[in-house]
Amino acid sequence: MTGKGLARGLGFATAAAMALTQSSVGFVRDEGYYFTAAQGYEAWLRLLLHAPLQAIAETERYWSYNFEHPGLTKLLFAASHLVFTTWLGILPDALAWRLPAFAFAGLLSYWLCLLGLSRSRACGVLAPLLFWCAERTFFHGHLACFDIPICAMWAGVGVAWLRRSGPRLALTYGVALAVKHNAWFLPPVLLVHALLLPREQRAFALRRLPWLLLSPLVLFAAWPLLWHHPLRHLGAWISFHTRHVHYAWWYFGQVLRAPPFPIEYPVVVDALALPLPLVILLGAAGISLLLHFARLRPDPQRLLELGLAGAALLPFLLRTTPIFGGIKHWLAFVALLTPEAASLLERAAPSARALVLAAVLTLLPGLWQIAHVHPYGTSAYGELAGDIPGAATLGMQRQYWSNDVTGVLPWLNAHCPQGARVYFHEVNVESYQTYVRMGMLRADIHYAPGPEQADYAALQWHREFRDREPQTWNAFGTRRPATGLYLDEVPQIVVYARPGLPGAPEGGR
Amino acid sequence: MGLRKAAFAALIAAGAGSLLFDLTLGLRLPSDADWAEAAGALRAQAAAGDAVQIWPAWAERARLFVDAAPVLAEEDPLAADYLGVKRLWVLSLPRTPFYRSPEGALRARGATPAADQRFGALLLRAWDLHAAPIAADLTASREMHEVDYVARACAPVAIGGRFAVRGAAGRVLHLRAGVIGERAYGAGKPPVEVQAFADGVSLGTLEVPATVRDGTGWRRLDAQVPGGPPEREFVFAVSSTDRSRPFCLQAWTTR
Repeated sequence: MTGKGLARGLGFATAAAMALTQSSVGFVRDEGYYFTAAQGYEAWLRLLLHAPLQAIAETERYWSYNFEHPGLTKLLFAASHLVFTTWLGILPDALAWRLPAFAFAGLLSYWLCLLGLSRSRACGVLAPLLFWCAERTFFHGHLACFDIPICAMWAGVGVAWLRRSGPRLALTYGVALAVKHNAWFLPPVLLVHALLLPREQRAFALRRLPWLLLSPLVLFAAWPLLWHHPLRHLGAWISFHTRHVHYAWWYFGQVLRAPPFPIEYPVVVDALALPLPLVILLGAAGISLLLHFARLRPDPQRLLELGLAGAALLPFLLRTTPIFGGIKHWLAFVALLTPEAASLLERAAPSARALVLAAVLTLLPGLWQIAHVHPYGTSAYGELAGDIPGAATLGMQRQYWSNDVTGVLPWLNAHCPQGARVYFHEVNVESYQTYVRMGMLRADIHYAPGPEQADYAALQWHREFRDREPQTWNAFGTRRPATGLYLDEVPQIVVYARPGLPGAPEGGR
Repeated sequence: MGLRKAAFAALIAAGAGSLLFDLTLGLRLPSDADWAEAAGALRAQAAAGDAVQIWPAWAERARLFVDAAPVLAEEDPLAADYLGVKRLWVLSLPRTPFYRSPEGALRARGATPAADQRFGALLLRAWDLHAAPIAADLTASREMHEVDYVARACAPVAIGGRFAVRGAAGRVLHLRAGVIGERAYGAGKPPVEVQAFADGVSLGTLEVPATVRDGTGWRRLDAQVPGGPPEREFVFAVSSTDRSRPFCLQAWTTR
């Protein structure tokens, strides 16, 4: 098998793995919004097919929802749903929306494999495996969101910069720009990389940079919102992210609410959330790339990997950038270190057999984490944190995004009387509607705005929302939960039922 | 070559060690049967005035099983008031990672332990708190509200309002207060003041500033009650230039 064949195989295997394991993954808060956006964009696509001029004239009507993110991924979610669900009727809604995200996950494996293959075949295989063999990364690969897509494009732009022609570079960067605003940081990385190259390579690299000026055409083409009043919409997009709110985040027993955040925050969260062997290898890879950088004539690829990994992390070291979302906002930092991590693993092994042993022992804790914790990926912690119970004792963010609620939906379906009202806490209406639409929640179960209006409450354990539990006790007149989702004893979702209703505990205080 | 061997050995050790840690974690955690046994023991031994403190404070799965006494999740056993609790049953998971025993904190407050009882991975130990007898639970709130991340039996009082109650004077007034929920952390918000009176005589003022550091939001005032009649009219006047925050207070007297 050729190197590219191997990369393609790993890419397809990754996408297939995501598709096969997605059904249990809950709909995270943001996904709910993107599902809603995709439905609006799908309506626009249908209009485009039947009345193109009208569709072009009415882009703002359909595309103004979720203006804060570019259109490409949501357009792909919509197109996938239009083809596979609306027209062909062969895929359930959520799977159809998520399908493009799996393609990006596959692309990430493909590009990581290519970066690894420049070192050795073993590195080509190990680089994507190192990235995906952790529940946090594996979980994010399932979501119809932008984090894995931009991570993939981060690597893709790196590969294009190293190996592709100017037009291909422009196209790849354009796609990155059309996926998420993180891409704004890439041109400076490429410029600095070009300037640090040896003189004979520098001139060639600098001559390719202007191709990036064409990339916004992709952003424009894939985001019909910009077709009318582009400056206003671009301004709103940029403004949203430069003035983004800060969500509360629990970190070593303190809820971080506003800047300045600890400078070490992203690195520490990575170290605690990922499996320990991977953390060690990534740390070694970072050091190795830094040492390589200090050389007189650094290898261009390693230099670029260092730049891309650093650029993915840098905004979160500024102490003012919003830090919510676990490790998802700097996944590219992890991804771009994996080729070097794979190389270090290979170099440490004295023989091929020893390499297999070391690789298996490095990957197994992550595979165990996936087997043990999936689909509750935002709750996962590694051995350095003492796994999930250790992280709870350390006072680390328990979970985010509300997807863990899937752990109690079967109980609610089994116990709620007809027409019961459930307070779903952090589960937004959009995600609730998708659970109903997917048959994961009975359609007669209603969404209650608060415990006072509810018969049942499914509370997500968040430090900053601790007031909801006593509020529920007061409303229901009981402090005994009916059931819950507890991972290694640690509460994630706690369900209360009004006394006397099916499933409510007898007695209690 | 030596470095390579060391790196290889370190990787193997890290991988094997991590896997061993992961695979044995379940053995260090209680099973449903352990919880049921502990709950049964509490049913047999707990009496009025007892409460169960879970430890670590996150071990709230206990609430599914324990029904013989109120379950408390205080995060600081040294500072917790444990109002009305004569005997505290500490139900703990001592084999969990980074576990730190609450024993030192409880001994520091003068509590004395009874013998340990083990139920698999659970440890149950009763502590006599030797608490001063309560003269009157002045707020006697049946509602619970979260202040500083702990559920507290406190009475909501609107800022700008007052809480008045008649009760036994005792010797010492204990006043606790804080802003409910996340609004306690509103940076730049003015402090809330609670002035305490007994029969019109000022006993002191409790200032509740915006919480900067978690764990400091539940403020306390302990004041001597001057001699006089055995019952008094206690008034707690709550004021601030910003009245928008939900506020909660708890007060009691001890003999």
